[in-house]
Amino acid sequence: MIYLTDDCLEISFPELQNYAGIRINFQRTLRIPDDGQLHSLPPGLGKFPLRHIEDFDLTKHNHLKERGGIIMPMFQAEAMWLNFTSIHSFGELEYPIAVKIGTGKICAVSGEGWNSTLNRHPQDYLVVPEQPWIDGYNVKKGRIKQFIAAPMGKGYTVEEQLTDEASVGGLQIQVFPMKQEFYKRFNDQQKQELRDRSFDEQSVMYSIEPSCLEVNYSSEPSLEMGLAPGGSMRQEIYEDPYDLEVWDMRKSERCFVTIANADQWMSITGEEPPMAPITAGEYTKAGLPWFEYYGDDQTAIEGAKLLGNIKSVKNITSTDGENIWPKDQSAFKAKLAWLTKRTISAGKWP
Amino acid sequence: MQGFGTYVRSQREALAETSKDFSVRKVAKAIGVEPAFLSKVEREVVSPPSEAKVIALAKTLGEDQDVLLAMAGKVSSDLLNIIRDRPALFAELIRKLKTEPDHAVLRVVREVRDGEW
Repeated sequence: MIYLTDDCLEISFPELQNYAGIRINFQRTLRIPDDGQLHSLPPGLGKFPLRHIEDFDLTKHNHLKERGGIIMPMFQAEAMWLNFTSIHSFGELEYPIAVKIGTGKICAVSGEGWNSTLNRHPQDYLVVPEQPWIDGYNVKKGRIKQFIAAPMGKGYTVEEQLTDEASVGGLQIQVFPMKQEFYKRFNDQQKQELRDRSFDEQSVMYSIEPSCLEVNYSSEPSLEMGLAPGGSMRQEIYEDPYDLEVWDMRKSERCFVTIANADQWMSITGEEPPMAPITAGEYTKAGLPWFEYYGDDQTAIEGAKLLGNIKSVKNITSTDGENIWPKDQSAFKAKLAWLTKRTISAGKWP
Repeated sequence: MQGFGTYVRSQREALAETSKDFSVRKVAKAIGVEPAFLSKVEREVVSPPSEAKVIALAKTLGEDQDVLLAMAGKVSSDLLNIIRDRPALFAELIRKLKTEPDHAVLRVVREVRDGEW
């Protein structure tokens, strides 16, 4: 079952365990420069608002409601990352969940067209809790291209680059739980070891209040947005540490995330849209850190061949001659902070 | 809280302003009762009709059947069956939710809907 709670998607399988499930939120973030350099992890600037799509009158776009799911606002050329956390139960192994992520029904991990199953060769999913987040398309081993919101129909999105069509857009999520019998086995055998690996989400979030800045956006944006590749970032997509047979393909949940242009959020929902995010240069100038993270002994998968040649938004001239990529900041020296698992000292007490 | 009959009458009369299909006679015929009986129900001279008639009335007037049933002091039989299957569990659930705000209740009952894609 999937619930929407505090701008998080909570996807759970209570019939397996009452804590079998994950929470996914969509983090606003800095758009990293598309300057050919490999950048560090940008911070989370807070969650995008999420709403049930069926609650709103989308006028001539009401057909989008047939896909169900949720709707969220993004500004054109705004960046995003997906944050995954397990539903905890103290003292228990976090329940492993396989997560497929698609944009315009193109898998962000493998570059293949969408299908509702898990595939290992090439791997087309992530495993949570091992993978704490994903910031973009798996273009090369240890490298992703950042998720950037782009209008549909202008040739920017990965969907359009790989299929020559702009028919889907948005973001698709499908999750599969581990089969109960395997979970019980791992929980018994590896509880302590895997609990040590679990990532403390408190150390990830580096929230700052976004300031309201002037940003040059298209004057008449279309309602629906897709995701396109932006600048490059160091990030590994981890190999599934389990065998494919452990995943329960019969018990999946899925959700379509319609991305609406933030400029039209008020007219759709009656709510104020989020403020425009600050730029990477302004963030760095304020002395705030970027991040590096390496997951213990996990192995990264290769980049997706199909995604290896996708162009970033900056390098695409749209079908109408417009380029939505704002001017990159001049080179900046980023302060780095290391994200590691947080250890808790037992201390001394009688 | 407005009485069942008064509420039905106000809703029916509002609809009757734009359509002749909502006269007492037409609505009574649509739900399968005598006009005189419906009139008495609206004036609250008699008790609300049976569950089936209240549901038919809700459909005819475009009202939420659970809301109209509640106003008539009834609980739909499908809900009663659900509670009868697990009375302790649902009694506890409903009592716990009694004072919760709507958004908290919605969190419990509302799933994100999947569609065609």
